Parts: sequence; structure tokens; C-alpha cells
Amino acid sequence: MKHLIVVGAGLTGLFAAALAAARGARVTLVARGRGSLALSHGCIDLWATKSPSRSIRRLRHPHPYALAGGFPRLQSALADFIYLLDRQGIEYHGAPSRNHRLITALGTAHLTALAPFSLAAGDLNRAEPIVVAGFEGFFDFSPHLVASGLQRQGADIQDCLTLPLIELPPGRERFATDLARLFETPEWRRELARSWKPRLTGVRHLALPAVLGLEHNFIVWQELQDLLALTISEIPTLPPSLPGIRLERALRRSLSSAGVQIIEGSRAVGRVDGRSGGQLVSGVVLQTAGGPRLIAADAVILATGGVLNGGLVFHEDGRVQESVFDLPVAHDDDRTRWLGSDPFGSHPYALFGLHVDQHMRPLGANAKPAFENLFAAGSLLAGADRSREGSRQGIDLATAHCAVEAALA
Amino acid sequence: MPTLSTQVLVIGGGATGLGIAWDAALRGLKVILLEQGDLAQGTSGRYHGLLHSGGRYVTSDPHSARDCARENAILRRIIPAAIEDTGGLFVSTPADPPQFADRWLEACGRCNVPAQEITPAQALRREPMLNPRISRAFYVNDASLNSFHLLHALTESVRSSGCQVLLWHQVVALLIARQAVVGARVRPLAQGEEFSILADVVVNATGPWTAAVAALAGLHIPLTLGKGTLIAMASRVVNTVINRCKPPSDGDIIVPVDTVNVLGTTDVPVSSPEQRSIEPWEIDLLLAEGEILIPSLSQYRPLRAWAGIRPLYRPQEVEAINNRSITRGHIILDHAENDSLGGLISVFGGKLTTFRLMAEQTVDLICRRLGIRSPSLTAETPLQPGHRRHYSLPARLTSIESARATGHPDLLCECEVVSKGEVLTALQGGDVAELADLMRDLRLGMGPCQGTFCAYRAAAVLAEVGAGAQTPQQALHAFASERSRGLSPLAWGTTLRQMALQHRVYVDLLHAEVTD
Repeated sequence: MKHLIVVGAGLTGLFAAALAAARGARVTLVARGRGSLALSHGCIDLWATKSPSRSIRRLRHPHPYALAGGFPRLQSALADFIYLLDRQGIEYHGAPSRNHRLITALGTAHLTALAPFSLAAGDLNRAEPIVVAGFEGFFDFSPHLVASGLQRQGADIQDCLTLPLIELPPGRERFATDLARLFETPEWRRELARSWKPRLTGVRHLALPAVLGLEHNFIVWQELQDLLALTISEIPTLPPSLPGIRLERALRRSLSSAGVQIIEGSRAVGRVDGRSGGQLVSGVVLQTAGGPRLIAADAVILATGGVLNGGLVFHEDGRVQESVFDLPVAHDDDRTRWLGSDPFGSHPYALFGLHVDQHMRPLGANAKPAFENLFAAGSLLAGADRSREGSRQGIDLATAHCAVEAALA
Repeated sequence: MPTLSTQVLVIGGGATGLGIAWDAALRGLKVILLEQGDLAQGTSGRYHGLLHSGGRYVTSDPHSARDCARENAILRRIIPAAIEDTGGLFVSTPADPPQFADRWLEACGRCNVPAQEITPAQALRREPMLNPRISRAFYVNDASLNSFHLLHALTESVRSSGCQVLLWHQVVALLIARQAVVGARVRPLAQGEEFSILADVVVNATGPWTAAVAALAGLHIPLTLGKGTLIAMASRVVNTVINRCKPPSDGDIIVPVDTVNVLGTTDVPVSSPEQRSIEPWEIDLLLAEGEILIPSLSQYRPLRAWAGIRPLYRPQEVEAINNRSITRGHIILDHAENDSLGGLISVFGGKLTTFRLMAEQTVDLICRRLGIRSPSLTAETPLQPGHRRHYSLPARLTSIESARATGHPDLLCECEVVSKGEVLTALQGGDVAELADLMRDLRLGMGPCQGTFCAYRAAAVLAEVGAGAQTPQQALHAFASERSRGLSPLAWGTTLRQMALQHRVYVDLLHAEVTD
């Protein structure tokens, strides 16, 4: 049985670890932090055009989609993803041929291919009149902002209101995660539904902040729809964003049931196999509180992310470092050219990262794979502006899928 | 709108202009003050936060040093609420000329600037992060003076004595009749039509815009502009003002202000008051010089950078080599004497520490012109902090804790402890046109997350009450652009990660629109 180390616990690392475990590998997942799924809408963005599949088929090297095997690779990755999540109780709806148009907490449109059931229910393509509601004292979702944005897009907004919450313990702010746990209490949500009911007569579709449950989101969502006799859709809030957290927890559940060992909180430093003449890596050394701890493996997959998650470290003098193996990073070494002019626009730094071959092996100085058994996936890879393309999760899944297959081959 | 009339029209709502309005109002004069932007948007809000002991100027400008020492004592008396008595140290590091310290101490004595030598070990006990290799250390009366707080207190005092402070009002022309300025033509920037104000005396206290305003009367003031860049570190590494004991130069000071440490400053000649872009070498220099004082400085996160523009007087007879050798003292130009044009006085230069003195001397001149005999009262009159206490963190924490006992404190900005109630109060005040005004008023968005979370929540309040001329989406974009100007010069390491976090939230999660 091959032993595989996955470094990083974001979408890429969790998916890679789950996939490798499902294919029979012994997997150790090591992570310094939590990844950024709590910042995520929990959907799988592939490409922000009308038909993602058509756009992705046109891509060429060195776009990570193309390197990982193009659209067929993405399809296999999505099939594995949907199967995995379905087994953990989250049904993802959609297909790569056509995007959903979902509503954001700013009332803008979010084009995404796969969405969890309760978000997919709010697809604007359905063109039914929507009532948007927020909760009293919960500031990470504003029905007013949603409505003002949606009106500008010409969506059919029937009303925008703020619903009361009942019997909240005093003493702290209302956070999305607290509310999600409260919604999992059956008596509380039933009483809440009773108190809302009179205010919702004539409403057919109610869009609420995505805080309807944590682990048992499906039950909460179903029961509220039944009690109120209307369609409910969820809109992701400011972080912590529950749809992303639910995805993270589902993937972690799948890892523990597959027997993946997870070691968290330590920085990993790459280790080269001295006997291989620099051809192979032998694993990683974890900088734990108790001292360095060596973990040896047959292959290592880096899923440490880009600048946000610490996979890439940007320095004042213009250097950009890969944080585990100090691999060469494609970048501009003039720091004044890293940012674009608009804070919400594209930034050149988004394209920096590792160049890899078709097996997701990072390239060394001579454009050959740096090591035979070292792989990289996700935001660490160069060549894609994920925010602008709307391709972040698609690239994560496709490159993770490719890296796992190559590592286990 | 009908023409207004007043005795004194002050143009410019920085510390100088507001100080003049306050002094004049205390003497019973009728005053209108015009400010083209928000309070603290100009140089007064873009400085390092230092209440000078005078120590910085004892060798280069003894006159200013004496002024600072005197005013330091007066301001501590009249507006203690805006001052944090941090104390200050002048330290000789291995990079500083060793013979300078004795010369400096002697000059302090000549200028009546209190300075007391302590041992390096005592200095290090007080500030453990200091360079352990310092050879001399002197304690001085430096403090941090919160200019936002000061300007708000001045504004409230002026308003409560029945005079007007008009924000977002720009002067488009000076009215001239019979060899004298008799008023100004004013354009409200928010809404409304142009109108005129007639005045017995017009005071031009517009800082870096002084020459431009004088030019409206056809006058030439030989002014050069010096840009000073500053960096706020995200934490208080030191709690005492730390000065390098050497002749004034770039990057010679660290000031603890509220929750941050400010590193200052550079001095770069610029040609316009709008030229505030920051060059990479300025950042590298400030951080490198800061590291000479605090060796571990690079391990801390630089929060944001900004630049202020100093107006420096340079008449032709002064043979100046560089900006730093031009006087930092203030200039009061009576154009009746200098240019045979009555009714106009220009006041500029000086330091925030000496604003009160400038105001007193200017209003003395106004009174002489108006034939009024009335002494200045500002040195004895306490400045009330006003009904809106501007971001005193302990007071906020207390009110949050009492709100928690009964319900929810409704925090919008966790970093700077700003509640929804405070935002609503600020909106009722009426001077809020954009999210950045809430920031200057309440510190919303000034903390470590730089508006990542509170900007959305504050935009939601704007949307809820229908405030501001912009759509909420435009307001968010404008605020993000404003914040990004201060982050961009520092975009590497943790500051870049913070920017990437904000991008992830607003672009990937919220799909905020780029432009409108």
C-alpha cells in the first residue's frame, strides 16, 4: 500500500486526501491551519461564462485546467466530488454545461456550476418573485444590500424584510455559526417558524442568510419549508460562511471514516531523499511543539494554497517563496507590479505560483520535474486568475484529482 | 441661497483654521469656517500624532523648539482628553553621531526644553524592545496628540459658540472690491448652489493649498510642498515616543498612537497637494530606520502607510539646500502689508503642536485690523471633548460590556469597537457622505482587518436608512479603494495576505462590482 502525505487542509487537500484514501492509499494529511473554506460560498465555480464546459475545452497549456487533462479530467473530478459529498449528506446540484445564477449577499449574481441543494434553490434563472429576509441583530447579511443589488439587475424582488429571532442568550454578537447551531435545535426552530408565519403570507420563495444548520442542514431546510409552506433558498453570508464550513466538515467526516490520519497545527518542511541523488522526496518534517517529527512517505502532494493560505510567501525585496520545499515560483520580482489598480479587479500576483508538468509535478530550474514523487495542486499553481475566471474550486478539484492519480500510479 | 455675512471668514478646516475660528469665537467675533473636505482629511489628519516636546528642533530651529515647549504645556492643560502622556525618549544608537548627544542636551537647556538623562538600562526597562546597544538616553515631554479628537473638539467648541463650520464647501473665488478681499464665492460639494459670503477679514489657512487660494486673489506666495510618508505598525511595540538623538532626518521617530505605532517620516519635494503617492524607497527607508531603533520591527505587521503634505515657506532671499533646512516655524502674512491687498491674511507652516499659538497671533492681527481690543483666551479655556467622544477605546469597551449584560452590543467593527448605534448617531450628525467619513469619525475600518468585515455591515446601514449620495455598492468600492491606497505600498508578507483575504471575500464570495 502506498503512503501518501497531503500538505494542506483546504478544499484541494481535503479532496485529494479523500480521493486517495478511496483509491486504497494510506494517507496522512498535515496542515498548519484550517484552509479557507470558511471564507467560501461552498459552491464549485468552474468558469464564469454561460457554459463553463465550452470555455474550459478551449483552454491550452499552461492553464492548470489544460495541464491537468482538460475537460475530461474535470468531469471525473466532479463525479468523484459529487459522490463523496452525497455520501456525507450534501447533495450538489448542477452540471458543467450550464451555470446557476445565484444571489450573493451584495445582491450581485454569482455564476457557478455546482451548488449545495439549499443554495441551488435560489437560482435566478427560475425567475420567480423572491422575498429576501435577514435577521434582527445579524449584520453579516443585509436584505437591504441584497435587494438594492438585485433591483439593479432587474430581478423580481417582491419584498425585503428583517425577521426577529427569539430568546437568544444575551452577552455576545450574533454570528453565523452560533445561529446555525441554534437552528439545529428542533423546538427553537419550530417556535421561530410559528412566529414568522403571519408575516410571510403570500410569500412563495423566501431567501434567507445561509445559517440554516451546520451538520443537519438538510433537515432544517426541509422542515422550515414544510412549516412555512414555501420554498426557502440560502444566500451565503460574510465569513464565517456556513456552506463552506459544511463542505469542510463533510470532507473531514469522509476522511475520518476512511481512516486518514490528520496532523494539524504544525509547519511542514520538505525533506529530500539523500540516497536518490536529489531525485525523490522522502516526506516532510513537522515542526511540532515537542520538536521536529519526521513523516516518511512514498509521495507528497502540496495543497498549501497561494498567498492567502501561506503556500506562497511574498517578501519585501520581491522574492516569492514556496513554503514547504522552497520550489521555484514563477513571479515578477518587482513588488510594485504585484497589484492591479482596482481593489476588486484582477491582480498580477494571482497568476504567480508553481509551474507543473502534466502529472502536477512542480518544475525545477531546468524545466524538468524537481522531484519524481512530489506533486502540487490548487491555488499554489501558476497560470490562472481564479477570481477573474470564476474557476477556483474547479481548478482545485481537477488538479487534486490529477495529482492523486499520478502519485498513486 | 442668499449671501451670508460675517466678521471673519476662515478658509481651511485643519488645526490652524479651526484654531483661529475657536480663538476668534472666544473673543466674541462672528466666524464662518469653510472646509473643502471632511475634518482631518488634510495635513492635520495625516501626521504622526506627536505632541512635540521641542526636543526635535533644539539644534536646527531653536525658536520652534521654544514654541513647542510652551505650547506642549498649554495643550496638556486645555485638552487632556486628546493627549496620551506617553513621554518621549531621545536615544543614541550605534548609527548616530556620538558627539551629538551632549550638543543636543546643551541646546535643550538653552531652549527651555526639559530633558533628563537616564541610563540605557533604565530606558530598556521602560521599553524592552529598544535596541539594546543604545549608548545614551534622555527623557523628554513628548506625548501623542490625537488630531482627529482635537479637530472634533475644536469644531464643537466653534459651533457651540454660535459660529458656523461648513464641511464639504469649496472656495471657488475671492471677492475683491477697492483693493481689498471682501468675501468669497463658495461651492457646496455635496448639494446645493453656489453662494457668497461677505467678510471683514478673510483668513487663508489652507495648508498645502495656501498658494492656490492666494492665487484666487492674484497673489503669489513662494511656497514649496514637502511630502512626509508615515507607516502605522499594527501593534504598539513601544509605549513611549522614541526619537533618534541626531540632527532631524528621515525616519527618526516612532510614536505610539491609540492602538498602533507610527513610523515617521520622509520629506520629499512635491509640486501639488494631491501628490501623495508613496514610493517604495520611502517605505524601505522608514522600516530600515525603524529597525535601528527596534531590531525586531520586521516581525511586526505594517498596517498601512499614508502621506501628508507640509507647506514650507521659501522666499527668494532664503538660500535653502533642502526642505529640512527651511523653517518649520509658522508664517502669518498680512497681504495688506505685503501686497497692498487688504482684508486677507494667509497663515501657514508651523506644527500641529503650535496650532494654538498661530491662532492666537493671527486673531491678534485680525483684532488690530478690526480695531477691537480683546485678548486671546485660548491658553486658559479648556476645550471640551464634546458630546461625541471620538474613539477612546477604554470608554468604548466599558459601554460594550454594559450592553452585553442586557442584550447585544450590536458591534459593526470589532477591531475598533464601533457599534451600529454609533454609526446611526454619526449619520444623524449629517456630515457623512461616504464610508470614509465614518472611518474618520469613528475609526470604523481602521483596525487590523482594514474594513474587510465592517465595510459590508456599514454599507448595510447606509442602505437601510438610505443615507449618502452613492449606492451601497459604490460606497463599498470607494471605501475599498481608499483603504487599498494605504495598504498597497506595504503589499507583501502579512499585509498582502490581508489584502488577499479582502479580495477573497469581496470578489470571490460577494462578487462586488469593479466600477459603476
